[in-house]
Amino acid sequence: MTLLDVDGIDGYYGESHIIQDVSMTVDEGEITALLGRNGAGKTSTLRCISGATPPEVRDGTIRFDGTDITNQPPEDIAVRGISLVPEERRVFTDLTVAENLHLAETVRNKSNTWNRGLEFKDEGMSTDEIYEFFPRLDERREQKAGTLSGGEQQMLAIARALHQSTDLLMLDEPYEGLAPQIIEAVENAIERISENGTTVLLVEQNAVAAMKIADRCYVLDRGEVVFEGAADELRANDEIRDRYLGV
Amino acid sequence: MSLLSQILTILLNGLQQGAIYVLLAVGLSIILGTLKFVNFAHGALYLLGAYLGLFITTEVQLTNGMLPEWGITTFGLGLGFLAALLIVPLVTFVVGIVMERFVAKPFYDRPDTDQILVTFGLAVIFQEALRALIGGDSQSLPQPAWASGPIALPIIGNFPRWRLGVIVITALLVLFVYALVEYTDFGLIVRAGTMDSEMVRLLGIRLDRPYLVVFGIGAALAGIAGVVGGPLANVNPNIGTEQLVPAFLTVVIGGVGKIEGAVLAGLLLGTLQVLLIQTGFAAWNRVGIYVLAAVILLVRPQGLLGSEVDVE
Ligand SMILES: Nc1ncnc2c1ncn2[C@@H]1O[C@H](COP(=O)(O)OP(=O)(O)O)[C@@H](O)[C@H]1O
Ligand SMILES: [Mg+2]
Repeated sequence: MTLLDVDGIDGYYGESHIIQDVSMTVDEGEITALLGRNGAGKTSTLRCISGATPPEVRDGTIRFDGTDITNQPPEDIAVRGISLVPEERRVFTDLTVAENLHLAETVRNKSNTWNRGLEFKDEGMSTDEIYEFFPRLDERREQKAGTLSGGEQQMLAIARALHQSTDLLMLDEPYEGLAPQIIEAVENAIERISENGTTVLLVEQNAVAAMKIADRCYVLDRGEVVFEGAADELRANDEIRDRYLGV
Repeated sequence: MSLLSQILTILLNGLQQGAIYVLLAVGLSIILGTLKFVNFAHGALYLLGAYLGLFITTEVQLTNGMLPEWGITTFGLGLGFLAALLIVPLVTFVVGIVMERFVAKPFYDRPDTDQILVTFGLAVIFQEALRALIGGDSQSLPQPAWASGPIALPIIGNFPRWRLGVIVITALLVLFVYALVEYTDFGLIVRAGTMDSEMVRLLGIRLDRPYLVVFGIGAALAGIAGVVGGPLANVNPNIGTEQLVPAFLTVVIGGVGKIEGAVLAGLLLGTLQVLLIQTGFAAWNRVGIYVLAAVILLVRPQGLLGSEVDVE
């Protein structure tokens, strides 16, 4: 079943037309990879989906679970069950690990929602489950997030996204800047998240690593989709890999 | 008077002088740190607090300005100081909320210079309208009877009771705001919003109402500063502008967005001023705080307790 349906969107930064008629679907339970070189428009696409501005979506629609979410504010899209692990992680460096995580659940605390009348289908991963899943974070609960290593910060960003009530986890270059054995740990985490039933949209420049765990792949170039198909098809397509991914 | 008691007296007076700066700077700092909004109307909120305090406390005889020309020669409620202390923060809180919605919000995405122009313009309009209505005379806001006269302190000896009251009220309010920011979900959201507001929204959290509350709290603190500071000096239409610059200095010296920084810097500035006044350099006390500010900012551009990131 299609969980996320991006239908012919055009994204603009001011007058520059960066995302050009991009269509893609993410099926429930799968890992979908969005690949492409630096500057291809991967982050911009995720920002369009999550409601972050800029860019501004001027044409096309984005549907999540059948509902049109195009150009809704990010806080309203997030509570529908889309969570983002952003480029460069963006953990709150001056807050502790525990505070970073707690922040992700404050919105489920009725007294903090300022009468938004939110209903959540699922409660997100509980704190206990999070610490069981990421034992390193458990050891560092009271540490400021800024003192964590790059890999640990990436784990925290993922944990924070899972602590939200999430049906679709979007990750923007989670392997960026990490050592190979850490990449493997993050990769394992993503696979386990997927096995637990969360749908994953994985954005990567590191196509080789992403193709390993992805079911379906999209390749972006200059804001346009130039390939879509199963991960196996992409692996077999030397031309696309050579031209757009450099691998 | 022993040297120790002299030093302690200077410190206590410095604490009192600094307390007003702290009250103003804490609000200014959280508004600047969280909302990234430069509020040059913060001094006008102090002015509003002082006059509201005056008119709630007593009935004032007016001799200048348009009100007496219109036949209104006495103005005020005469409810007493305690009533002022309770009512003014509520009123200025509401004024703050209205300001956020209609003045600050449309300017969040505009350059700092636009924010300064619009808020400073509003402050001047308020100040001059006040002057036109009731004249520029200095009024005195009477000290509350229950806090008048001296109190005997160990070592120091007699100290004006109201000055001590100002210190205590400031300490309680700052502790309250600090606890709110450090130990509640509201505070956690505000602190995270200061660091990366977009990321907070991506977590599903709506920021506009916490921001309203932050602005309201900042305005209420400025209003209270006007009431508690009122009895210590004259109340006239210039006092808001006069307090604005030291309050901003306190914010940048302490580090933008840092409550502890505002407290530390406010006390430093207050103590320095009192020290200069009491050692025969009274004429230099204004210069002194600028020199101290310049030196501190040369050595630590982000302010005493500011984090590096805040400079950018
Ligand atoms: N805030 C912005 N303003 C203007 N142009 C931008 C902005 N952010 C990204 N771009 C441009 O959009 C294009 C796509 O960028 P991005 O989505 O970050 O690519 P990717 O994530 O694939 O590396 C690039 O040409 C980039 O220069
Ligand atoms: Mg990117």
